[in-house]
Amino acid sequence: MTPLFLRTISLRFRLTLALLLAFFLVLLDHRLSVMQPTRMVLNSIVSPVQYLATMPEEIYLRLSENVRSRFQMRQELSQLRNDMLDMQGEMQRYQFLVRENERLRNLLASDAREDSLRMVAEVIAVDSDSYSHQVVVNKGTAHGVFIGQPVLDDQGVVGQVSSVGLTTARILLISDQSHAIPTRSERSGIRVVVQGVGDTSMLEVMHVPHSTELEVGDLLLSSGLGGVFPEGYPVAVVKSIDLDISATFAKVTARPIANLDRIRMLLLVWQASSEQQPIFNPVQAVRERFSKTSSELEESVEHDD
Amino acid sequence: MMIEHSSWTQRGLILATFVLGLVLALMPMSLGLAAWRPDWQILVLFYWLMAFPHRVSIGTAFILGIAVDVLLGTTFGIHAAAYSLVAYPVARHYQRIRHFSLLQQAALMGFLVAAERTLAFTVEHYLNNATLLSSYYWPVLSSALVWPWLYLLLRKIRRRFHLV
Repeated sequence: MTPLFLRTISLRFRLTLALLLAFFLVLLDHRLSVMQPTRMVLNSIVSPVQYLATMPEEIYLRLSENVRSRFQMRQELSQLRNDMLDMQGEMQRYQFLVRENERLRNLLASDAREDSLRMVAEVIAVDSDSYSHQVVVNKGTAHGVFIGQPVLDDQGVVGQVSSVGLTTARILLISDQSHAIPTRSERSGIRVVVQGVGDTSMLEVMHVPHSTELEVGDLLLSSGLGGVFPEGYPVAVVKSIDLDISATFAKVTARPIANLDRIRMLLLVWQASSEQQPIFNPVQAVRERFSKTSSELEESVEHDD
Repeated sequence: MMIEHSSWTQRGLILATFVLGLVLALMPMSLGLAAWRPDWQILVLFYWLMAFPHRVSIGTAFILGIAVDVLLGTTFGIHAAAYSLVAYPVARHYQRIRHFSLLQQAALMGFLVAAERTLAFTVEHYLNNATLLSSYYWPVLSSALVWPWLYLLLRKIRRRFHLV
């Protein structure tokens, strides 16, 4: 049955063609970066594969939740109620502090801090490449996600959005080799840049002079200087300081605060005053936009009359 | 009539195994285990290159590479080029490789996976200054280890659906 002489185009030609095409793609994507819209479309096309890949885990989680005993549920519920009370207490204090802070800032005639909006996103894929630390989450342009958006978890800074599809977004973690984040030491106020090295449990603090005041255990907060991350979120804790005089700079490493190796739920952050705003109910938003445009159309028609 | 029908089942079956390979490649695992994850999608590609050389060839390898580029978020064309390159020897010598013993085949697949990873890494290093971690080559071993089982499984599926 197998046709013997079906191959009409030689293999070598096919390979040459494929390599040329790939070369052009690399050039277009890397040097000119005109592929962002294409990537968005392709991301949306392959997103079923990503959803399929997370399905077994999700089913397992749902099942294990179903078979949990009544006793465990009650225990967890009371635990959550307690936590909630705690949080509410803290929140009251927080509100008071925010108001006080605002008043003080007004007294000093400096700008008030911006509020931020948050949305919970779930991780649906983790990269299997060890040299690129990225995860994919289940929120995209339909939810108002934009490129360069800061991403946190319940502990600290996780990374930033590097590309978006309609219902998915790719997040570059702070541990990726191509990622760096400006930070400030909480104790001494020293500004340092923290860069990823491709290890989820270690970051490198760049260009620290030997006379540094940094100490092991110092908390590094985002400084807000890069314009990407909002100010004051915990990033990392200084793990070791090696003052080797023969090197140009002191070798300082830090441990990220967020649990980068087991992230599951993430927080996407929007600045309250920025152009981009979260869309919590995409279906309704589309419907509203649609009805708005149609009513505008009707109005314009009436004006024409 | 008969031939046309079987060609469509063939296509559907091949596509399904590729999607499954990609799903396995993406499935979330704990990081310790994920470092050992075999390159399922490439092994599936090698099998079909050998089984249906007139249908699955360098073009398929290229498209699979693009899909991997999109799914992993790497620069477009890196995996596409690497997959096309390692697909070439298999597509060219499929008759010889078919007569290898399973162990010989496994060694060859391990070697080709290593070659693909080296190619992809080299480009990545040139473009994005990636540094090499030894864990990057662990999947070579696991890929070679799962090859015999994957080969037997896919052959069983192929025979079950009477695809020649």
